[in-house]
Amino acid sequence: MQRAVSSYPFAPSVKVKLLNAGFHSAADLCDLRPLQLSKEAGISQEEAVEVLQAVRCEPGQERAAASQLTALELLEREQELGSIVTFCSALDTALGGGLPVGKTTEVCGAPGVGKTQLCIQLAVDAQIPVCFGGLGGKSLYIDTEGSFLVQRAVDIAQAAVEHCGLLAEDAEQQESLKEFTVETVLSNLFLVRCHDYVELLAETYLLADFLAHHPEIRLVVIDSIAFPFRHDFDDLSQRTRLLNGLAQQLIQMATNHNVAVILTNQMTTKVWNGHSKLVPALGESWGHAATQRLILHWEGTNRLASLYKSPSQTEATVRYQITAQGFRDVPHSNQPKASVDPTVSQSGSMSKRPRMEEV
Amino acid sequence: MASKKLRRTGLSVELCDRLKRHQIENCQDLLSLTPIEVMRLAGQSYQQVLVLLKSVSQSCAPSMTTALEVWKQRADLCFSTSLPGLDRLLQGGLSRGTLTEVTGPSGCGKSQMCMMLSVLATLPKSMGGLDSGVIYIDTESAFSAERLLEIAQSRFPDYFSKERVLEMAGRVHVFRELTCQDLLNRLKRLDEDIISSKAGLVILDSVASVVRKEYDTSLPGNLAHRSNLLGQEAATLKYLAQAFRIPVVLTNQITTHVGDGGERGAVSFTGVPSEEGSGYVTAALGNTWSHSVNTRLIFQYVDARQRQIVIAKSPVAPFAVLNYSVQKEGIRLEGNYDNQEVAHQGTDPGLQPIRVWTGFNYNLMKDTCAASGQLKLL
Repeated sequence: MQRAVSSYPFAPSVKVKLLNAGFHSAADLCDLRPLQLSKEAGISQEEAVEVLQAVRCEPGQERAAASQLTALELLEREQELGSIVTFCSALDTALGGGLPVGKTTEVCGAPGVGKTQLCIQLAVDAQIPVCFGGLGGKSLYIDTEGSFLVQRAVDIAQAAVEHCGLLAEDAEQQESLKEFTVETVLSNLFLVRCHDYVELLAETYLLADFLAHHPEIRLVVIDSIAFPFRHDFDDLSQRTRLLNGLAQQLIQMATNHNVAVILTNQMTTKVWNGHSKLVPALGESWGHAATQRLILHWEGTNRLASLYKSPSQTEATVRYQITAQGFRDVPHSNQPKASVDPTVSQSGSMSKRPRMEEV
Repeated sequence: MASKKLRRTGLSVELCDRLKRHQIENCQDLLSLTPIEVMRLAGQSYQQVLVLLKSVSQSCAPSMTTALEVWKQRADLCFSTSLPGLDRLLQGGLSRGTLTEVTGPSGCGKSQMCMMLSVLATLPKSMGGLDSGVIYIDTESAFSAERLLEIAQSRFPDYFSKERVLEMAGRVHVFRELTCQDLLNRLKRLDEDIISSKAGLVILDSVASVVRKEYDTSLPGNLAHRSNLLGQEAATLKYLAQAFRIPVVLTNQITTHVGDGGERGAVSFTGVPSEEGSGYVTAALGNTWSHSVNTRLIFQYVDARQRQIVIAKSPVAPFAVLNYSVQKEGIRLEGNYDNQEVAHQGTDPGLQPIRVWTGFNYNLMKDTCAASGQLKLL
């Protein structure tokens, strides 16, 4: 209540008038009606309404009731949202059932390690019908690198559709398969190609409206966040500011619209004490941006995925491979085998999680 | 359309004038600011600024499509390399709208590949070509018009009559750019050249030579400047590839990668077996550049005659190795196409070791030269 009027996001002219009329803190304003305020301060009625709404929305007052949740409510809500499977059961287990909806996940990795493959796989998997344990949603793919190749999306969609076909048992599943074809998967995969960071920023400003119009969207992919921000910037503090704003918008969007947001990031070489090391690009402060951080890397000829930052899961490293069908488990490894039987549940909350067939 | 003027986005004239006083004239200037900064400069409230940003975004954001729409136009998604084994693995050839990099040791056939692709692009559509012009940016002075004609006539002896071969040569536009600045300027204005020469293929041979000549990366600051320059080049080429829906082919050089044998974190460089102790040869220009190319093909030696194409990075193809040799007609694949080595694991394309031919035997090389037409010794 003691917050100064000058700290509010009002137009400068409004602020000046409020201060001149003697309104210095929020407490001075909260008892007024719009008409009184407009008269007192000499601002228009619309401006007065805006001022009063902004003041009332102070945390600690009315708004607090809506945003206050117990952990139990949050738990229920998060379970309801579900997650998007990756088709690599080892990675799903590490992520706690798949890519969480309502959170942002950053995927970092060396060139060619499979970041785009994982993104395309998830964009397809988000559309798996509900009766197969999927989300039955749609996906939006924002491509800044030009690496989304539709041929590859067709391959992966084909494999996913065939896989569900093998699992279909009851009539409901058979029925939903009619709707789950390569063609529908492709038509529910929205694509935007951004050529520079300005277009990417413009797209994120519009994203909230787009998601409001397409409530079925469950996944937003930005592949990659790094490329447009890694050149054309002389002023690194400006870059940090823009990236922080972008991260904030994306987190807000993930929560408000119940979508999973996945960002890919590149790796850069950092020379430190004479040793060169690969670290995620975009600097240290960007590391705070996403809720989860997954790093894909090579070890000789093996591909490994490491969960580095996660509020709920322990850090883990699992192996995966990229096959003609997409992102998959490594067969015959030391890891616990994925069950081929779809009725055997391993992750509790998901009873009919699609599993890969042994390749 | 980052450079779209604010006047054309439907903002009021007063607001445009007010923003102009703060040197904010186009969408890029405005969207590079945070909403709080815009509030101060435009003298508006937070809500109004959000509306303002949204309407400006609306007018400069790229349009949205679906994968199905793109798939419907798949007939012209690819440019065939006329090498059946390679085309099959790449699902039709070089993908339009993306960057394909060809990297390998000198004399291995990178420029040969580029010249061969130039010939192919000029072919009529019925023969698998693009029936279009070619822009060939040569930074190494490695382009040989004589060799271009030779490839054309040996590869398609029936089609290329005397007049046709000259017409073909007339459609290949060669630009020699020998400094970084010239190259960047050329790329920035390449859209004009693409339109005027009706080009359906852009080749940059090589992206590495000018950059490596001008930037000594052992000096502080140079590396960052170099990555920035390469990033700009990549962004421009990607934009051109996408806007004109054409394939872009780049060549790259090789470098010796010195593996650090010391401590290795989980994400640090991991050992790829090398034959010569700690160092081995990989693609040049570093890790950041490797992110920029969509497809990476490595050309490498097996022995003096026998060479291999390695698909080291591709969004569609698995890691694979194909044998080829350089012949009079350009690149020729060898062996049974259905029986190529396909391995799904591969390794980091930035660290993929490249085999070079070190045992130079002058007589043997001379024989090879005679057999394969032209091959530079150095």
